[in-house]
Amino acid sequence: MPAPAISVENLQKYFPPALSGWKALVYPVARATQCALENVSFSVMPGESVAIMGPNGAGKSTLFRILATLVIPTRGHAAINGFDVESDARRTRSQFGYHTGGDEGFYARLTARANLAFFAAMNDLPSAEIASRTSAAAERMGIADSLDRQVRTFSTGMTHRLGLARAILHDPSVLLLDEPTRSLDPLAAADFRKLLKDDLVRGHGTTLLFSSHSVAEVEEIADRVMLLEKGRIAAFDTPARLRASTGTASLSDAVTRLMRTPSVDGAGQ
Amino acid sequence: MSALSSGRRTLGKIAAFFLRDFAIARGYRGAFVLEMFEALFGVATFYYLSKFVSSPELSSAIPGGNNYFAFALVGFAFFDYLGISLTAFESSIEEARQNRTLEALLVTQTPLPVILAGSAAYPFASLALRTIVYLAWGYLLFGFAPHSVNWLGAIVILLASILAFAGLGILSASYSMIFKRGNPAKWLVLGVSGLVGGMMYPVSILPRPLQILSRIIPVTYSLEGMRAALLSGASWPVLWPSIGALLIFAAVLIPASFVVFAWALRRTKITGTLTHI
Repeated sequence: MPAPAISVENLQKYFPPALSGWKALVYPVARATQCALENVSFSVMPGESVAIMGPNGAGKSTLFRILATLVIPTRGHAAINGFDVESDARRTRSQFGYHTGGDEGFYARLTARANLAFFAAMNDLPSAEIASRTSAAAERMGIADSLDRQVRTFSTGMTHRLGLARAILHDPSVLLLDEPTRSLDPLAAADFRKLLKDDLVRGHGTTLLFSSHSVAEVEEIADRVMLLEKGRIAAFDTPARLRASTGTASLSDAVTRLMRTPSVDGAGQ
Repeated sequence: MSALSSGRRTLGKIAAFFLRDFAIARGYRGAFVLEMFEALFGVATFYYLSKFVSSPELSSAIPGGNNYFAFALVGFAFFDYLGISLTAFESSIEEARQNRTLEALLVTQTPLPVILAGSAAYPFASLALRTIVYLAWGYLLFGFAPHSVNWLGAIVILLASILAFAGLGILSASYSMIFKRGNPAKWLVLGVSGLVGGMMYPVSILPRPLQILSRIIPVTYSLEGMRAALLSGASWPVLWPSIGALLIFAAVLIPASFVVFAWALRRTKITGTLTHI
């Protein structure tokens, strides 16, 4: 059995309360008391596509940011392709591509090509390969014709595609996508889903961990679905088994029922 | 990976930062041209001020028999390096937060010191050009004509100054990583340096306690060395005390600033406030 592409063990994250005014001065390093994730454990196998669902504030983005080495967990471990996100952050970063749906993280006055070339250089791609990799990534994302336009002229959908092109530039085996279709219109979202499923997951065997509020999107792309609620895993299984275990006809009903049921410890093992 | 290829890769990344910022600046050509004229107004102000304040006491304190205009012009032009050092790192992080590229940068393979060095490459290069423009306006329009110049010495003093000031700049950026806005340390350093560092007047005219204070800030050595090199063509033995002092500041401040910045970054990763504005 191959090693998991993503493994998470007993992950906990507590944030300090947001203080302002004199309290922020008196307590500059306040104790972390607000729970974002509690004993989260799961693994994702290579080539698998896993969706994370849950209400706002459930801890989805925190989980992504921990995996992307942008937030340090309070306790527990997380690793991508065996590299620990905290103790081996730099090598972890070579393993994944990261993109968020609210991603505007580009230099608006530079062309898409210049943006991609810059991030390719930051990802240690040899300078001789940057031009060809940039073109190839843009081709895969369907924005090759727009590479020489300034990013400020891009639509939201095109910016998303550019974000995904940036995420795959260094050919990572794992993609972390936090609400990748947020703020896309239905047609653009459908295009984007097709791209993820057909090109990245089926075509290249990329391991995909993504979050979404769209049940249709999850059903279309995900092999397994994780339900996060109040920082805990409420359920983690295939869409078919989630439907069967709840005795519901649709994933939407299954999710609704599971979200109203108290959390099940160890559901993600 | 060999040290050589690692070094080349790092230089390539710093070049990528420079090209990025150059390409962005190129989109604002009007601002660039206006800056050149702003420099002219600054130089003209010093010229007329120098005519007003010229005195025998002042002239005797200025190296190489130069006038106050030359003294103030060099002080003003090179004091800017401290200002840029204190703002360049902080601004680059602030801008990256604003345009949401900070996270995109931090998930790449580029280590933090390279991101910091790269972010400062263009601001320093741009300032070097502005310094040349300052001196050129002074030479072309207002009679700034140093008697002899040690150009190599001036370049060494400049590089040593940038290294010393960069440590202060990274410390300043660490503050803004944690507290986001308002940076009293930056204004304190700039204020004290402006007062006692010898930008507009020789340190020798200050009261004794302020003269002692001037000895523990790097800008004093930077301006002394730069004036000695540019206004009197001082030899290496004369320049060495300034260069040595600046290198000591750099040797202490740069490692300390990286430690503090790494702590600040870790702190924001713990509190989840990395991208908060």
